[in-house]
Amino acid sequence: MSNEVKTKEKVDMDPKYIIKLTVTLFVTCVIVAGLLGLVNSVTEGPIAAINKENTEKAIQEVLPDLEGSPATVELTAEMTAAASGAGATLTEAYESNGAHALKIVASGSQGNIEMMVGVDAEGVVTGVSIVSNSETSGIGSKVMNNENGVLDQFIGKSAADGTLSVGKNVDAISGATVSSRGVTTGVNAALAVAGVMG
Amino acid sequence: MNLKKQFMDGLLYQNPVLVQVLGMCSTMAITTSFFNGLGMGLAVTVILTLSNVIISAIRKIVPDKIRIAMFIVVIAGFVTMVDLFLQAFVPALAESLGVFIPLIVVNCIILGRAEAFSYKNGVVASFFDGVFQGIGYTLVLLAMCIIRELLGAGTFGGGLLAGGKGIQIIPSQFPAGMLTLPVGGFLVLGCLIAAMQWALSKSKK
Repeated sequence: MSNEVKTKEKVDMDPKYIIKLTVTLFVTCVIVAGLLGLVNSVTEGPIAAINKENTEKAIQEVLPDLEGSPATVELTAEMTAAASGAGATLTEAYESNGAHALKIVASGSQGNIEMMVGVDAEGVVTGVSIVSNSETSGIGSKVMNNENGVLDQFIGKSAADGTLSVGKNVDAISGATVSSRGVTTGVNAALAVAGVMG
Repeated sequence: MNLKKQFMDGLLYQNPVLVQVLGMCSTMAITTSFFNGLGMGLAVTVILTLSNVIISAIRKIVPDKIRIAMFIVVIAGFVTMVDLFLQAFVPALAESLGVFIPLIVVNCIILGRAEAFSYKNGVVASFFDGVFQGIGYTLVLLAMCIIRELLGAGTFGGGLLAGGKGIQIIPSQFPAGMLTLPVGGFLVLGCLIAAMQWALSKSKK
């Protein structure tokens, strides 16, 4: 609209005008970036604390015998390869008295499902907890919220049960097969990782 | 400046969602629970007001040719700030709104008001435009939330009342779950827009 009115403005290839545009935009960006830096310095601490708390809560849920705080394990190429071999991605690993809590990302029906899987020293699953997901509310979210104990059914499974798969040795929630499969893939990956960790 | 007209425009005659039909994406995506609607509405109102004020304040020094780029930088700055504050101090809300907070940057209500109002009007008028348009947006979101939640899940006040589950009004076997899915968003929004247009055309006669 205002373009049509101000057609007289000098634009075409006038170096001064181009420099003016560039400088204005540059200065604005610098000011905004500076302000964002300030805000970030205020919120950085609380956000890190919340993330840490969420992670610790998830670890506690999947490792019932946890005492003290678990140690972070450096990811090795072997571990990440074991997870990707099972179709998921390993992002974090924690260890406590031989039991492992593994943060795994697997794909669900709407996006990634991030979950914490606990595996004890004997390689038996002790718990599955969903850290974040974007599954369909009312359908896939049933799996995420552990409705009908769909997440608890993994407890007690181990590598001895073979590869877990929906329909064979895992029950899915009807209508949410893809979400159930995502979690199953994640647990398989966790068992594979725990296998190479020993 | 005419406060009463601005107020009525924001809420009714120029309602951002029902009349200008802006910001559809967030309107349909997040209106599944009362808490989400309220949080999103407030976040947009705050960002809209701040960006309106700043854009109005700098409107005389912004070269016309790059105004859109300048608007986006200012808006993106405020959105990122609000996003960081939500993550730090209201993590529950940040989690349930997810990607829709960063997406406020491209919410057409904010750019639309920058271009249509604050770029041409004074700081005070722009401030009130932001507040009233924001309230208009929030009210529509809340209406959508209440309808979709009640008919889709049978609850009221989800995420806020009764420990986050909401008060169960309709027993859980009856509601049509479809309404909380995107398709329900289209249906409810269509009905609301139709009702609004009917009411507006009637009031003109």
